[in-house]
Amino acid sequence: MKRRHLFAGVAGLAASTLLLAACGTGPTPAAAPTPTEDPSGSITFWSSLAGMDKVAEAFNASQDKIKVSFETIPNGANGGYAKLSTAITAGNGPDVATIEYPQLPQFVSNSQVIPLDGLINKAETVDKLTDETKALVQFGEKTYALPYDAAPMLMWYRQDMLAKAGVEVPTTWDEFEQAGKKLKAVAPDSYLASFNPNEVAASAGLAWQAGAKWFGTEGDSWKVGVNDEATQKVATYWQKLIDQKIVKVTQAYSDEWSLDLANSTVVGVLGANWSATGIQKRTEASGQKGQWIAAEMPTWGNESGAFYGGSSFNVTKSSKNPAAAAKFVEFLTTNQDAIKARGNTGSAFLAFPGLTPVAQKAYDASYFGNDIYEVFTKAYGTITPGWQWGPNWDITNTALKDAYGKLTTGGTIHDAVDTAQDATVAGLKQAGLAVKE
Amino acid sequence: MATQALTTTVRRRGRALAGTGGRTAALFLVPFFAVFAIAMIAPVIYSLVLSFHSQQKSGLGFGEAKTVFVGLENYVQVFQSETFVEGIARLGLYCLIYIPCMVGGAVAFALLLDATVAKARKLFQLLVFLPHAVPGVIAALIWAYLYTPGISPLVQALQGGGIQINFLDSHMVLPSIVNIGVWEWTGYNVIILFTALQAVPREILEAARVDGAGEIRAAVSIKFPLILPALSVIMLFTIIGTLQLFTEPSIISKATASVTSTWVPNLWAYDAAFIRHNLNQAAAASIIIAGLAAVLSLAVTRLSSRMNKS
Repeated sequence: MKRRHLFAGVAGLAASTLLLAACGTGPTPAAAPTPTEDPSGSITFWSSLAGMDKVAEAFNASQDKIKVSFETIPNGANGGYAKLSTAITAGNGPDVATIEYPQLPQFVSNSQVIPLDGLINKAETVDKLTDETKALVQFGEKTYALPYDAAPMLMWYRQDMLAKAGVEVPTTWDEFEQAGKKLKAVAPDSYLASFNPNEVAASAGLAWQAGAKWFGTEGDSWKVGVNDEATQKVATYWQKLIDQKIVKVTQAYSDEWSLDLANSTVVGVLGANWSATGIQKRTEASGQKGQWIAAEMPTWGNESGAFYGGSSFNVTKSSKNPAAAAKFVEFLTTNQDAIKARGNTGSAFLAFPGLTPVAQKAYDASYFGNDIYEVFTKAYGTITPGWQWGPNWDITNTALKDAYGKLTTGGTIHDAVDTAQDATVAGLKQAGLAVKE
Repeated sequence: MATQALTTTVRRRGRALAGTGGRTAALFLVPFFAVFAIAMIAPVIYSLVLSFHSQQKSGLGFGEAKTVFVGLENYVQVFQSETFVEGIARLGLYCLIYIPCMVGGAVAFALLLDATVAKARKLFQLLVFLPHAVPGVIAALIWAYLYTPGISPLVQALQGGGIQINFLDSHMVLPSIVNIGVWEWTGYNVIILFTALQAVPREILEAARVDGAGEIRAAVSIKFPLILPALSVIMLFTIIGTLQLFTEPSIISKATASVTSTWVPNLWAYDAAFIRHNLNQAAAASIIIAGLAAVLSLAVTRLSSRMNKS
């Protein structure tokens, strides 16, 4: 009896844990992409972005050669990439996928997305992009995705609270700290912003703005600088803000975070253009209409900025109809009808020229106290050049997020970036990549 | 002649019976073993194979990866990983707090239930079991709400009483998760122990009472030793269940950064497979966890059979 229990128990455990690891199978080689002038057939499209079901519908209605079936998947933080990556490896992924810029290189590196060269009309798509956005989707001379949104990093403030503290919108990080102190003087329980351990891409953005280069290539090897000089400067600064209780450490999008915004405990959000709907949703019921404004991120003295988030569309290796998939990707990223179809789903800022005005027209920004799109455009013009994402962002993402876990009990951002640096280098080396520290 | 004929028929019938018995047994067993082989044995073997290989890239990594045989290297890497070892240590600490609390609580509740009047029994049985009827994910979500400062009525009430406590900081989060486990599983185990108590022969208890034993003395000296076998089954399931700890920390991690993505070994394996895309390391980690469960289970069964004999 006992033996049987033992066996059943152990076997059950083994199965549950092993199944996790065992569901990937060998890669199925994709058919060599052949450019087709007039592709047809059925394709599938996965995305976690709002309104994409309507965009797929609009595409289906606009022509009758290609039929797109759309499926909503969870976003990255909720396992979307795990699902996508596993499905592609198992050979039953979608034809067209949505991947954010930080994650794109690892999908490229794992050969899970295919180059679009030869499948898309380059002159009408890639060639019209800015260098900063091109750099996000091109690796080794090949184009692996078409960029959808280009999300400039921003600060959102409660203008009534800034006025109460008697400060202007901070333009430098020094002014930001002073503003925080003045806010504390008039509202001791308030914070100027929150620091979000689960939003490592925001930390990356802050470092990017300061001129850090977390990833780069030198000849045939990667150079990793998660704790480089510029990052150290940013780490010291934000640690100071945490220590002075100018910013509060909370998980972004958690219940606590939402409540803090609603009850004016936190009066600023370090975010991007896409933060607008989230802020509105969480603060509207508390009567904060007209109080929130978008502002360019404070700087270290000279004009600078970063992208924070943003997605690209790709054709996966499991696509059996890459030509049709690429056609749909072109529609998604460059066609005004695709943007119109989304409707009033968010304050998108798009990479392809001429599309943002369409999105702006569709979006109802009346909740906000200033012209947010004007701020987006300004911030978009100040992106610090030279940033590159690494071949396995999730190693860095996890390591830094985990190290931030100690922030509430005496850990520092300094220790965290050091830990993340070591973990990144070790992780890449384990995968056989050449790394220079 | 007659006897000979009789013996042959008997023999024949015997043979025929044995034949049908084997076939019938096979008929009933084949579906089980087929599913068992596909869903259990095959993945285990596949994982073993995976765990001895590695996907190696070179240079910048923008090219096809090669699968190479690396022997035990994945296992070495798992054991060298600070986060995995920390996870094991954390799980050990979790067991040290969780098992005494939960099993102790279950024994106490079961003995109390057994001692109460028959009418109240059914009600208390239901009340104690109720938390287990809540699915684990939902339970974790509810507790995450109850732990989050600023939202939780519990934290607020404690603050009102002058107690400042953050259930989710990196020191408190382990006991907080233990609490969820205790809340979820105590009632379930109470029912198992209570059933075992029902089987305790009443004449022994009566004899004890005649000898002058009170309720407490009877519980400690008579009932408790007699439910030890049930208790060892509970220990076994609890240890295996604890090694699989995954749901509660992964839900709580959404509310706090204190629960890292490699907080316990199972989360580590998940992270390796689906976040770091290293299936081979994940397979090695899974085999290690399974091995650990086997060793611990064996230890518990050995120990309890020795205790039962003595």
